[in-house]
Amino acid sequence: MIAGKEISLTIDGKPCKGALGQTILQVAGDNGIEIPTLCYLKNLSPWGGCRMCIVEVQGSPKVVPACSTPATDGSTVITNSERLQGLRRLTLELLFSERNHFCPICPMNKGDCDLQQQAYGFGIDSIRYPYLYPALLVDVSGKYFGLDHNRCILCTRCVRTCDEIEGVHTLDIGNRGVKNQIVVDLNVMFGASTTCTSCGACVAACPTGALFDKSAAFHGPLSRCQQVRTTCTECPVGCGLVVYTKDNRIVDVFGDAESTVSRGHLCRRGRYETWVEPRPRILRPMVRRDGHLVPTSWGDAVHTVKTLISASNHGQNAMLVSPRVTNETMRTLQKIGLRFDHIGMFVADKESALCTSPEFSTDAMKRLDDADGMILLGAQPSREQGVVAAKIRVAVRKRGVKLVILNSRRSDLDAYADISAPIVTLERKFWNRVGEVLGNVKRPVLIYGAAAMTAVGVTILDRLTKVLTSQCNGGEMLAPIQLPTSTNSLALAAGGVEPVEDISTWLGVQPVNFLYVVASDEPDGGARLLKEPHVRAFLEQIDCVVVQASYESALTDVARVVLPSAIWCEKNGSVTNFEGRALPLRAALAPSGEAREDNIVLETVFA
Amino acid sequence: MSDKPKIKVATAWLGGCSGCHMSFLDLDERLIDLAGLVEFTASPITDVKEIPEVDVGIVEGAVCNEDNERVLGTMRARCKVLVALGDCALTGNIPALRNRQKLADVLERGYVETESTQAGEIPNAPEVPKLLGTVRPIQEFVKVDAHIPGCPPDADAIWYALTELLAGRQPKWTPVNMRYD
Repeated sequence: MIAGKEISLTIDGKPCKGALGQTILQVAGDNGIEIPTLCYLKNLSPWGGCRMCIVEVQGSPKVVPACSTPATDGSTVITNSERLQGLRRLTLELLFSERNHFCPICPMNKGDCDLQQQAYGFGIDSIRYPYLYPALLVDVSGKYFGLDHNRCILCTRCVRTCDEIEGVHTLDIGNRGVKNQIVVDLNVMFGASTTCTSCGACVAACPTGALFDKSAAFHGPLSRCQQVRTTCTECPVGCGLVVYTKDNRIVDVFGDAESTVSRGHLCRRGRYETWVEPRPRILRPMVRRDGHLVPTSWGDAVHTVKTLISASNHGQNAMLVSPRVTNETMRTLQKIGLRFDHIGMFVADKESALCTSPEFSTDAMKRLDDADGMILLGAQPSREQGVVAAKIRVAVRKRGVKLVILNSRRSDLDAYADISAPIVTLERKFWNRVGEVLGNVKRPVLIYGAAAMTAVGVTILDRLTKVLTSQCNGGEMLAPIQLPTSTNSLALAAGGVEPVEDISTWLGVQPVNFLYVVASDEPDGGARLLKEPHVRAFLEQIDCVVVQASYESALTDVARVVLPSAIWCEKNGSVTNFEGRALPLRAALAPSGEAREDNIVLETVFA
Repeated sequence: MSDKPKIKVATAWLGGCSGCHMSFLDLDERLIDLAGLVEFTASPITDVKEIPEVDVGIVEGAVCNEDNERVLGTMRARCKVLVALGDCALTGNIPALRNRQKLADVLERGYVETESTQAGEIPNAPEVPKLLGTVRPIQEFVKVDAHIPGCPPDADAIWYALTELLAGRQPKWTPVNMRYD
């Protein structure tokens, strides 16, 4: 049997072509024949559990599930006979009788529920079986989403997603027979799970209201929301987002299946934190009068900023920008740069060395899919680039990829690693072991983060190169993947913006007497600038700080003027991800209050 | 007016919120057309209590107590075509949410523990119908001839079902004309 060889079969009387190895469902789909499904989800392994996709194959007395039955050359398949429709209807009726599917009080009512849509399709106005009305748990202990067992049809789409996409296998099926139900970890409440990453992929996969986003529940049907495709700006991966909005507010945020970077997957930060976590917005321009920030007009605020700049000593005014700003804002900065003596971006911890030699790692996400060995050096994707962490977990668990973690902070990935050394020794024995683990690896990938760019990191890299050269039989080291921490730091660095880590030194050396901070939509409002106590004292002393930010913070406390920035879902433009792809940002909402996009604010102020 | 004898209709309101009957009144001006075709007998709308022999019996609500069961039995015995109106009659719906608790706990909560209740007690008078252990849809008690899903079904769905039945046809539900909410 040669997989991929062309086969011909007849489906519902129509001659169809397919490839050996494809399932009946795939061949039918490719040939425009729709078969109803419930437990099937593209990109997951087939389960064959719901029996909605049953078909008749000529010569077989039994009906077979199309999602998990290979298509065979010369076969004749019927997808839509009276017998099949009767059986599918029966399946739906049994599903309804088994649990408590009360549509009027379900958050997925009105078009968001596959079960409901299927039942409408079959015109099910009543069922022929007694309802079981089981007393089942509604688990709303999780932070972002709830699990209502009353609405679960045990399709295991969540279980397979958690296992095959996020790679943590928090969910599985417990108990036997009619008592089957989804279990979290070793049967704990969702909120008590030690493995769940809150990526929310299970919720996106659920065909009913069993898993639902708390913040989206009962805020109107998604099917009647506007959808805007944009890019997540929480980290440099740049996952695709679909933002669902209604009446200029967000109803829910899902991963964009069309995204070449993330293919629909997201981590907790992109899926929830940006819109569920309460963050106090700055909605109006403010200027400080008699020690208090008072709201004012844009005209007055801009005038005040201009006055402050012209009064500042020549050679001593500086601008600090967030590494989250868009490429368009960067171009504006390049235009107005001459107005400032010093422009820097306040990068993350240890990130400045990485930005000194910015390297885009072309097709990094695809290379992670192809690698058979991964070395993680000075990076912490579990905390910072969740979708990359998911890829690493899946690679180890599903493909048996060798994983070596060096000089990185402890994380859940350690449990998947062949070797995990938060502190690396130079002992021969250790490196021999690294060599053994990577011995048969043909396509190793080195993923290095900000913490790799230290003297220790360089030494480790040197050892690693030696080990790989001498031990990997015929293997070739693929181009390493540079994994920055901040969203657009590589593009900004490549565009000539100086990375600044030690803020107090930078301010003191310049020395600065006027500071303009573009904090943009940094979740902490840019307050991490004040992490070192003498920075705050310094800024209080110069008393000439302009803050352009989306969220209130300790930084606004030292500002003379505060200008409101638009946030991620209010921005247009682009960011460049760590692969070097310029990814589009499309505004899903009009800016809140009087907020404006960063580049527009800068163009207004420095016109 | 035609001399054709009018079709006799009775409606009953079992364990439900009466929203289905309200939705029935939403037929608005179509009620006048309907009145030309049918004669309303016992119904919460006419306030006639005793169900006579009728052609069509329409039942809203789930079977929650002994009285619901009795009324449903009477309706079935005295009508030719029995129509289940709305999700409570079809699935148990909201009234059936209590099925996850023991009846004694439900009564205790409702009549004694409620925050606004002082010295409450569970009614035990013989006039008050006893609650059944679980709330059930009507087709688990009697044969139902036609179903109108919805919570409540909108007037268009009710009109469609009634006109089909009056024309001697079984209503056919499709994604266009049916919904469960």
